[in-house]
Amino acid sequence: MGDYVLLAIGCIFVNNILLMQYLGNCPFLGVSKKMETAMGMGMSVVFVLVLAGAITWMLNHFLLKPFGFEFLRTISFILVIAALVQFVEMFLKKSIPALYAGLGIFLPLITTNCAVMGVCLINIKEDYSFVQTLVASFSYAAGFGLALILFAGIRERIILARVPKPLQDTSIGLVSAGMLSLAFFAFKGMV
Amino acid sequence: MIGGLIIMGGLGALVGIGLAVASKVFYVYVDPKIEAVNEALPGANCGGCGYPGCSSNAAAIVAGESSPSSCVAGGPDVAVEIAEIMGVKIEVREPDIAMPGCKYGFQDADVRYIYEGVNDCRAAMLLDGGSKICPIGCLGLGTCVKACPFGALSMGTDNLPVVNPGLCTGCGTCERVCPKHIITLSSNSRRFNHEYTTDECSAPCQRACPAGIDIPAYIKKISEGKYLEAVRIIKESNPFPLVCGRICVQPCELECRRNLVDEPVAINNLKRFAADYAMKSGQRVQAPRAPETGKRFAVIGGGAEGLTAAYFLNRLGHDSTVYEAASEPGGILRSGIPENRLPRDVLDWEIDDILNAGVQIITRQKLGKDYSIESLLKDNFSAVFIATGGWDTQLVEKDRDRSLRPLPGVQLLIDFILDRREGKGERPGENVMIIGGGNAALEAARTTIKEGAKNVYMVFRQSRDDAPISNGEIRRAEEEGIQFCFQSAVTKMTGEGNRLTNVELAGISTEGKLKGEPELKPVDILLTGTGRFPELIYVPRGTSDEDETLQEPIQWETFNPYAGPFAEQDIGIFRPGEVTSDYRAVVEAIGAGRRASSSIQQYLNGMSVEAPENMIRKHTRVLSLDKLEPVSELPRQEMPHLSLEEQLNDPCLEIAVGYSEEQAIKESKRCLQCGLICYRRVDEGEMH
Repeated sequence: MGDYVLLAIGCIFVNNILLMQYLGNCPFLGVSKKMETAMGMGMSVVFVLVLAGAITWMLNHFLLKPFGFEFLRTISFILVIAALVQFVEMFLKKSIPALYAGLGIFLPLITTNCAVMGVCLINIKEDYSFVQTLVASFSYAAGFGLALILFAGIRERIILARVPKPLQDTSIGLVSAGMLSLAFFAFKGMV
Repeated sequence: MIGGLIIMGGLGALVGIGLAVASKVFYVYVDPKIEAVNEALPGANCGGCGYPGCSSNAAAIVAGESSPSSCVAGGPDVAVEIAEIMGVKIEVREPDIAMPGCKYGFQDADVRYIYEGVNDCRAAMLLDGGSKICPIGCLGLGTCVKACPFGALSMGTDNLPVVNPGLCTGCGTCERVCPKHIITLSSNSRRFNHEYTTDECSAPCQRACPAGIDIPAYIKKISEGKYLEAVRIIKESNPFPLVCGRICVQPCELECRRNLVDEPVAINNLKRFAADYAMKSGQRVQAPRAPETGKRFAVIGGGAEGLTAAYFLNRLGHDSTVYEAASEPGGILRSGIPENRLPRDVLDWEIDDILNAGVQIITRQKLGKDYSIESLLKDNFSAVFIATGGWDTQLVEKDRDRSLRPLPGVQLLIDFILDRREGKGERPGENVMIIGGGNAALEAARTTIKEGAKNVYMVFRQSRDDAPISNGEIRRAEEEGIQFCFQSAVTKMTGEGNRLTNVELAGISTEGKLKGEPELKPVDILLTGTGRFPELIYVPRGTSDEDETLQEPIQWETFNPYAGPFAEQDIGIFRPGEVTSDYRAVVEAIGAGRRASSSIQQYLNGMSVEAPENMIRKHTRVLSLDKLEPVSELPRQEMPHLSLEEQLNDPCLEIAVGYSEEQAIKESKRCLQCGLICYRRVDEGEMH
């Protein structure tokens, strides 16, 4: 049990997917202008990543590995994740319209998200068990959400500040993202 | 290699088939119209329609909860496209545009402290309403600029927002984010229906003008040499700049802040100059008209008030027709003002301007003889506005036929008395009501009782003690069976065909507010103690939109236009303090005419007919100044007059000649361009 907690903390803080591994930077800058959308995106990533982690683990262990086709890992993962997101979108629309209304517009954005892809590949590389994969996927996604929400909070405040014209919008966003990343650097070596 | 192909191919096929099956299993029906409408909408999610985003508005449009023309950002093109998808017809709406309402930025205004906080007006507002002394001054931090979804706003060098009219869609986002409601949507119609409120910047002269002309704005245009533009601004509140420029009593100049330094700006002479310029150069300034509504309105009386009401109704997109008893329109302007003060060709040019705008006029038609309220309502007029003028017009009208009853069941007291003296006149009926008047009214009441009336009411706005009849007389009259209604006003009349049936009487408190529920009294004839008919709007009653055909006999009711800023009370007809169409000044009649057209518009929109709650009235306290920072004295330009000799040679020549262009520009630069408390700190150099 303790191992899982450590794994979770490691994935959320120490190896934060956005701020320490620099994966998934497009939504990080794209949907972080408003707290509301940042929350929606964070939730969607949690939802999709846990599913994608589980499916890709199974794909790897039951199909690619036994037949020795591990060189096809990347391309088959892309295919499966894309199809999964499509499927989830359809499923939600029909079965849980309330959840679809909240997450719907973010799901297509995740289809080609490198954070999702990256986590799945990391899971395989680290040779996690199925349970570990689930924990790691959830924690990475939670770390993604945490960073996104923190960053959205900062950006909402930046809008109100007097920023010099050449630095406005994306430039100041990148500068503050860098500082946030430096702050997370302090977690290094904790686990 | 082969294995790889099989794996990837198999995986792809599996996923493809899976998704295909899933799309069937999890198919959700979405109305294709919603998607089509969503495609047509601009996708800016500005919220101008009142829904959180374009897609929710699309769903609402298809569900019939929102109008196809609800998208303000897309404008008429999008509305037409959506209407095609929905298969409906749309009414074109008039475009709105954002209008900043503050004239002086931080560097020119008086401030209480220096604000260094969060760069947002909403945050600055929390510190005691912002740093400007003026409570309605722009905070200049550009919250509206950041909020504009179309990039139509920018911050000018004077720290005030600037609107790019080409990009502004009139979505109203800026209006909603501005914590002080300074930037607002504006359109021609909105400006015609405007009254000055405590929430906006207005100069003392503007507030004093009974017609409500934006005086600093037009003087500014004159100083820039844009004379036609100045006329256009005047015509947003007053269609008679040539006439007013000559004969106005100029209450504005009494309030001019320059009185604190030297003499008031010659506001009226400047108005005359701009209007004369347009006339002499033969240019007719036609302001834009709102899209056609297809509604028809009749205005009875072709004097200043009637023509003004018809002019503004026309510009609001309605068809308006003026009925005039005389052979030519103009009323007192034509019959009462001497030629050497108001030349007839000037008046004709001005009236032609109104007619050219699209107002129809029918002359030599007398209400009660050639047509009636009933015949007009039957003729599909949506409302009939009575602007028959003050008592003076009744006297001017020669060989008046007293047997005519222009308004159903309403008679002038004087006619009633004269009829009785000559021994004619029909019996008044069972229920008689007399408004106002003194002992003559009392005599009339006694006469009606003798003639067999059962219920005779005398209505006074005053209390029993203040009524113009002595207490003893009242007591005696009560013993004779006359019923007195003190502190009451007539708010509504209802009737059918050419008959009055009921009058609604409202109680008024001593503060002039409505007291208790209005009560409906059956009345056959209403005698007005004043020498004129009240301003009234007759509308058909009891018809719904589906039932276009009117029942016979036509049911009607009346309402009265809302009270202007100078009225002391705002309930009922004949309000004290409001001179409306009285003989005092043409500008009062013009203001009343414009308010009548706004009242009709409010009625048409299904709103209650009343002035804005925060309208600046006579006794409203408004922030003002009692001294100016040193402003250098500048003599007022003298109005050139004809010499005595010239006047004697041709007595019909206009005596006041009018400013020259050079004089006008000099005079216009004397204007301090006042706001509520700001004004132009005049630079010595620029004056000479």
